[in-house]
Amino acid sequence: MVISALSLVVIASVAAIRPEKNPASSFRNLKVLPGNISQKQLSAIMVDQFQDELGVSCNFCHSENRETHKPDYASDAKPEKQIARLMMQMTNRINKKYFNLGHAMIGDSASIVTCGTCHQGKPRPVNF
Amino acid sequence: MKEDLIVSDKNDDGIDRAGFIKCMAWAGTGILWMMNGGIMKSFGMSQMIDKATGGLKKGLIIPPSDFSFVQISDSHIGFNKAANPDVLGTLQAAVSKINSMPEAPSFVLHTGDLSHLAQADEFDTLDQVLKSVKTERILYVPGEHDVLNGDNKQYLARYGKGTLGDGWYSFDSHGVHFVALVNVVNTSEGGLGVLGNDQLEWLEKDLKPLSSSTPVVVFAHIPLWAVYPQWGWGTRDSAQALSYLKRFGSVTVLNGHIHQTMQKVEGNITFHTATSTAFPQPQPGAAPAPGPMKVPADQLRGLLGLTSVHYQEHNHTLAITDTPLMKAGETIP
Repeated sequence: MVISALSLVVIASVAAIRPEKNPASSFRNLKVLPGNISQKQLSAIMVDQFQDELGVSCNFCHSENRETHKPDYASDAKPEKQIARLMMQMTNRINKKYFNLGHAMIGDSASIVTCGTCHQGKPRPVNF
Repeated sequence: MKEDLIVSDKNDDGIDRAGFIKCMAWAGTGILWMMNGGIMKSFGMSQMIDKATGGLKKGLIIPPSDFSFVQISDSHIGFNKAANPDVLGTLQAAVSKINSMPEAPSFVLHTGDLSHLAQADEFDTLDQVLKSVKTERILYVPGEHDVLNGDNKQYLARYGKGTLGDGWYSFDSHGVHFVALVNVVNTSEGGLGVLGNDQLEWLEKDLKPLSSSTPVVVFAHIPLWAVYPQWGWGTRDSAQALSYLKRFGSVTVLNGHIHQTMQKVEGNITFHTATSTAFPQPQPGAAPAPGPMKVPADQLRGLLGLTSVHYQEHNHTLAITDTPLMKAGETIP
């Protein structure tokens, strides 16, 4: 039941985001964000949602490649990355269910609830 | 003060029109650096410009110097949030101030975050604005926003010609050795900058042939001193780089990233961080996290640069240290 619900959210999310007319991206291992998301859209989500609204940098979710010492964006090695996926799905679902935003997608300017609604600039939200 | 009260706040964002203009004036500040006999002096350009006319203040005499250059930083072209929906306008304001200098600076250093999302159109816009700067050349280092998602190809193609590695380089001007370092491509846990072994090895070799009396200016995006490591405002392996600089009599380290002016002197090294041309960030520890400054109405007067441009400048060591205003007939000792 839960899996079905999550699947629905993912499908809805893929349908909701409107990729710009950029060439197909080469981003790998995208599971919530659509595979054809543009570099600009992806960067805006990372900067405006995660960096600014949680106060974190890339390394919070992305592990480091031991050879290149650069972030390995495709890797799922850090549990924080999987939590971020669940959080994006939850946020999309809240916007859709309670604010009637059928095409809500994380990073969409129409979204009522964003990461910052709860996080308030902190990696982990304070207790309500 | 009465003139600092919000009289119209239609967007409920804590900024009225007058407040925004003041903020713009503050955010558009650049820093004029002058070299005289191997000693660097810095001047906040807001202190030199007459707000009413946009020109240089009457009676202001610029002291004699060997040469001068201007540092600007963190233009974030493409940013459009409430902290400053007109980053282009504030960059243009900074350019106007540079062009108001009685003598054109030898060059301009941009210490990174040229763009907000590393988009081609953002870089194009920045280039277009900076074309009007009256100077011989503009030199760059990248900020982390210019190399998002690990992609620094576009930055290097545009601004990195003739550089090494991820964009580092050095050059000499008027007897001063300038070193541009890149510490944003391999950031570490917590967002701290990283120089990396390859760059450190290059730096050691680059400095080796210089005599200890050579003035050295190092510039990079993320501060090379631990401003506030909890927010990633520092560079993990900067100690190694600074150890190579200890033998020099005069070292100046210029950074951006934190969007506010801070200065620290440690032995022979003067560290200086520049304001942004785009938007302010909170002072270290004054907010849960760094980021574009939110401006609640009840805190507006206490925020950086908003109460008074001059007062804001005096709050920072830059102005206090460097004798901000010069009257007719006076020069800096």
